Amino acid sequence: MVTRIKNAQKNNVVMAYFKRNLGIIIGLIMLVIFFGIFTENFFSVTNILTMLQNNVVNAIICCGMLMAIMMGQIDISVGSTVGLTAMAAAYLITNLHWNISAALLVSLLIGVLIGTINGFLIAYLKIPAFVATLATQSVARGFCKILSDGISIRIRNDAYNMIAGAKITIPGTEALSANGRVPISISVTILYAVIILVVTWVILNKTKFGYYIYAIGGNEVAAKYSGINTKLYNMLPYIFIGFLCAVAGTIWGSKLQGVQSTLGVGYEMDAISAVVIGGASMSGGSGTVGGTIIGVLIIAVLSNGLNVMGVNAFWQDVFKGVIIIIAVVIDVIRKSKTSKVIS
Amino acid sequence: MASKLLKMTNISKSFGSNKVLDGIEVEVDRGEVVALLGENGAGKSTLIKILGGIYHADAGSIYIDGEEKKIQSSSDAGKEGIRIIHQEIVLVPDRTIAANVFLGREIKKHGFIDYKLMCEETQKILDDLDIPLNAKQYVSDLPLGMQQLVEIVKAVSADAKIVVMDEPTSSLSHGETETLFGIIERLKEKNVGIIYISHRLDELFRITDRILVVRDGISVGNVQTKMAVKEKLVNMMVGRELTSYYTRNKRALGDVALEVKNLSNKNQGINNVDFYVRYGEVVGFAGLVGAKRTETMKTIFGIYPKDSGEIFCNHKLISIKKPKDAIKNGIIYASEDRKKEGLVLMNDIEFNMGLANLGNYIKFLHVDKKLWSDMIQEYVKKFSIKITSKKQKVGDLSGGNQQKVVLSKWLACKPKVIILDEPTRGIDVGSKSEIYEIIDELARNGCAVIIVSSELPEIINMCNRCYTMCEGRVTGELSEKDFSQEIIMTMATNREDK
Repeated sequence: MVTRIKNAQKNNVVMAYFKRNLGIIIGLIMLVIFFGIFTENFFSVTNILTMLQNNVVNAIICCGMLMAIMMGQIDISVGSTVGLTAMAAAYLITNLHWNISAALLVSLLIGVLIGTINGFLIAYLKIPAFVATLATQSVARGFCKILSDGISIRIRNDAYNMIAGAKITIPGTEALSANGRVPISISVTILYAVIILVVTWVILNKTKFGYYIYAIGGNEVAAKYSGINTKLYNMLPYIFIGFLCAVAGTIWGSKLQGVQSTLGVGYEMDAISAVVIGGASMSGGSGTVGGTIIGVLIIAVLSNGLNVMGVNAFWQDVFKGVIIIIAVVIDVIRKSKTSKVIS
Repeated sequence: MASKLLKMTNISKSFGSNKVLDGIEVEVDRGEVVALLGENGAGKSTLIKILGGIYHADAGSIYIDGEEKKIQSSSDAGKEGIRIIHQEIVLVPDRTIAANVFLGREIKKHGFIDYKLMCEETQKILDDLDIPLNAKQYVSDLPLGMQQLVEIVKAVSADAKIVVMDEPTSSLSHGETETLFGIIERLKEKNVGIIYISHRLDELFRITDRILVVRDGISVGNVQTKMAVKEKLVNMMVGRELTSYYTRNKRALGDVALEVKNLSNKNQGINNVDFYVRYGEVVGFAGLVGAKRTETMKTIFGIYPKDSGEIFCNHKLISIKKPKDAIKNGIIYASEDRKKEGLVLMNDIEFNMGLANLGNYIKFLHVDKKLWSDMIQEYVKKFSIKITSKKQKVGDLSGGNQQKVVLSKWLACKPKVIILDEPTRGIDVGSKSEIYEIIDELARNGCAVIIVSSELPEIINMCNRCYTMCEGRVTGELSEKDFSQEIIMTMATNREDK
């Protein structure tokens, strides 16, 4: 009896997830079918793994962006933070011959510092998030270029390159691989993204911090009057974002075995797109990790599919923009319908 | 026989399986003020939304001047001269009164906006209605009550035929209410029909010609105001005999729970406020709008920083720098504006009830759902909150139920000193009576309760003692045996120190 109830609840959770994200799930499936029909290799294991791997960084940044958007705010400094943290590590390792752990620690601290500055400007000095992060975006990008003298720094260090280069081999999957002999191996970076997504889900659903983010985004005054330290909890997500950017920067730098001064340019757009497609409201108070994952996947499938089809990168930007508009319009229509029924 | 100005016949409306209106009839004559009276959820707002074209009736017809009209949208309603004034103010704050009054129908000359003429026209209307405002003033510079009046001016300035006012006085001071009544008189002279919704019975007796009582989607009473009897109206409205509207049992007064000495806050205009409250006591704070009662309570609760003064809890000096400090000391404050300051409307009941005390339900990574839902169960039962599930959005509840959710949120913190700011604002008679019962019970259980209220009967009937405030000062203190509306009003308008 008890197990039956538990199963029923479990079904409810799954059903609720599908119901809540129905529109974007259908959208994702349609995209997948479209590219499956019109491209040859879309469904190949290699392609799917490449696609996931290429979007690990976006997924990680999205975890932070989701929190900022849930608070009715935004962080557009994420791309520059990724660039600066990665560049700092590269500079310390290659130019100053630091040991890796120390370099990575400094890189993480820089990420956290940028996040703290953002959070402080927004939560304590009440500077609009867009303006504050616009400024830090410029500052971080500037430092990134100063360190590299505007070009790039290569990193020749096996340990560093293993951070993203390591692969997890799944035994017994030989049949699925391209040549049929070697088992499939998955980039460890995908595991990093999964861990961070899980951590973010736990924060939002199982901690006071998460509940406070919903409360601040939904009604900051009510949250404050309920005895919540709204300033502190408004700042914390930005620190988390800074941390995630440093992680993302490390993964990208390790994967490319070097850092360009333009690393991270435009990342904020992909992250904002994915979070908004995932159903978070720009006015705050709502948003889920589950929806964001689908948002990330939609962006991933779209750019990968267009790549495989051979569409050039400029057109890809156009399609991405159109998809965002469609997603938001659907969301707006759905919301206005539900609110009519209720009121 | 001339046809009625407005006739709504046999109007029905269901949401899902919930029948909100069940063949209701409404008639309004030219120059007549009809009160719509009923508890929240009785169907008043649905009826108004049908008239305003926001909802479509499932059945029934609307006649205006004897002609059947299909009102499909709010612009249809506008064309028929129907003006609905909502409780919320929807003005553009950083624009002048004239710009707001003519918003969307600006006067143009040679293709450009003729601002001067708009100001003149607006000033004419303001003067005509005896509103002491200048058309060129910015809306954001006006006090809340005056903004509400501008809202009304905006609505009636463009050929209004039928005006619906939904709780127009809820944010008006005494003087502003008088101005509003003046406006209503003028509108009557112009043969405008008015539907007036208010929970304040005294107002209805003053200003309306007829009272239509609504319950469960049908009209249960239609009486000339001259002939109406207050108790009978209340009974019609709630559908049962209310034995007593206010609850007041014998309370045992204990030691002093909270004492405030020389509290000042220059920014908020609070000046040397002194008062105390005992355990088991209900203390009222009376005053006009601008008396700074809310600001005083918010300063005590740590929302505004105080400049000087001391707060003693159980005779011990305590330091409150933020709301959390107050809550830790067992002091809670339920705001007068539950939608803006009390609730996260887009979230559910569970979330909102737990918000002030989350540490109790979430320990590290474990959410204690059982403890949490037990708490919700307890208060839902205790306060008979009408909800479908704890996952229901708070924004969808009626005002009375929202207020009970706010109270539950705070009482779950087990407070000792309870500050309630306008605890019954904008909620229906039945819920009001239940809130009074809750307040009385809290006091009997030994809590110290402070009520800030603009409704004198509430203070007179509920409190053991009351203070009056005027312009940031305490101007008087009365014990219950000396309570009377006249004395309280005199003290509340006394600009001298006591």
